Amino acid sequence: MASESFLFWLVALLTMAGALMTVTLTNPIFCALSLAVTMVGVSALFVTLDAYFLAGVQLIVYAGAVMVLFVMVLMLFDLKHEVKAFTRGIFSGALKIATVGLTAGLVSGAIFATMRVSPPTGEPHLAPANDLTAALGQLLYSQYVFGFEALGVLLLVVAVGAVALARSKGGTHAGS
Amino acid sequence: MGQDFVEVSINVLKLIVIFLLIVQAVPVLVWLERRGSALIQNRLGPNRVGWMGLMQLLADAVKFLFKEEFVPEKGIKVLYYAAPVVALIPATLAFCAIPLGHPIKVEAFHMLGHSWGPYVFPFQGYDMNIGIVFVLGVSSLAAYSLLLAGWGSGNKYSLLGALRASSQVISYELALGLAVVSMVLFYGTLNLSEMIRQQQGVLVFQAFGQMISVPWLPNWGIFYQPIAAILFFAATFAESNRLPFDLPEGEAELVAGFHVEYGGFKMLLFFIGEYGHMMVASALMTVFFFGGYQIPFVNPDEVYQNLTLSLGSSTLASVVTGFLHHLVFFLKFAIFLWIFIQVRWTLPRFRYDQLMDLGWRTMLPWALGNTMVTALVIFILNRSVGG
Repeated sequence: MASESFLFWLVALLTMAGALMTVTLTNPIFCALSLAVTMVGVSALFVTLDAYFLAGVQLIVYAGAVMVLFVMVLMLFDLKHEVKAFTRGIFSGALKIATVGLTAGLVSGAIFATMRVSPPTGEPHLAPANDLTAALGQLLYSQYVFGFEALGVLLLVVAVGAVALARSKGGTHAGS
Repeated sequence: MGQDFVEVSINVLKLIVIFLLIVQAVPVLVWLERRGSALIQNRLGPNRVGWMGLMQLLADAVKFLFKEEFVPEKGIKVLYYAAPVVALIPATLAFCAIPLGHPIKVEAFHMLGHSWGPYVFPFQGYDMNIGIVFVLGVSSLAAYSLLLAGWGSGNKYSLLGALRASSQVISYELALGLAVVSMVLFYGTLNLSEMIRQQQGVLVFQAFGQMISVPWLPNWGIFYQPIAAILFFAATFAESNRLPFDLPEGEAELVAGFHVEYGGFKMLLFFIGEYGHMMVASALMTVFFFGGYQIPFVNPDEVYQNLTLSLGSSTLASVVTGFLHHLVFFLKFAIFLWIFIQVRWTLPRFRYDQLMDLGWRTMLPWALGNTMVTALVIFILNRSVGG
């Protein structure tokens, strides 16, 4: 349907633009905001795929998490120092060249890979639409319970590690 | 959305009406708040423009429109302009997902030489199966507007207000979420219409293989989950930054917090956002704990059948049923809005450490305990029924 593909392209372009801006902008504030835009875009893509529960959870978990990131940026970073640290010097120059190479490789790889993809054959597998959420819950707590819990522990470790790093010397705060 | 022309146009119309409802309810609420606060504080309030001061808000709106437009010198223009818009969107999106009345069934009819099939219009913007997850997800985005405003204004008072707001929202979202989780466990669904359907009739529940019925109480969520109701309502105060949780804009300390640098219509948009949050919170209270749009003790289907008999036309009866229940919903909704206003002019502001204490050390443990007890009770009752 025309309206659906229009919606898809709009949301996809918005998401891509957000993702691109997240990695290319130098101001961490705008990076965090672009990341939030990306998350909202991904959530909208889930809605167009009829995965409403995932869309809602995407908003709650990721958009909420990015907001915490935003606050961290505001409180922990010395923004002027940050810009200076990544615009001069041999090291960051080398990083830039490496990044350009990687991006070029990624783009060309994506183009070649999509040219080789064949259209899907056969009937798409569709789950019953009304209790997708229940089915998802069942799977999460039975088949994938280990991964689910391990991810929780990982996030806890990351949170504790972030606090520890922010408190000790390191990052852009070293010496200040 | 819809199958044919009639359905699509009615659905689009509904979305517009709900948006206008939120925007237009704000002047009325502001009037109510000013007159109400005057009543509470034993003074007169606005009473010069129009009858009982009702036209004051029209005058204010005109004033807001004609104010000077400016951006602070050290502000970031994009963020400064984006923040008020971002404040408005989440509340309106969330409100569209809340059922405001009984669904309207329209029988097949002939018009302009076509026959238009039977329709069912839910009395809400869009009926989503995941109702509450969507509402929470969308309204959690509102905190961005405070941060954008705080950072984009380039003012340290704004920034302090925004940081306070974000830490407050993050802290209280946990208690709010857990209160909602216990309600989801209790109803066994995420769909708001389904939750309302489960609150029909008088209080009846099954315990230890017996049916217990309390004929003088309606079958409302609050009688099953009183703790969740209190926690939810308290947390929504914090989420909408109203007194006693209005530290983000504490006038005595921060001038006006995150919107110091805003004036004119941009300021008004923040206002609409705040009142929109109040409205979403009141509507959710009604849906979760007070039977939604249903008349106490009365089943909406019975109302519909009786009206069909007395009016003759089932379409007309359905429309009347829908609007009747909409009125009932609005009555309940208005009571909660009034409680919001009453509390604002009754309680003093918390100190910051008290705020964090309440959120993390009082409300979170109670919400967690309530969720676990609910889960346990449901598990035990289901087992006794099954075996």
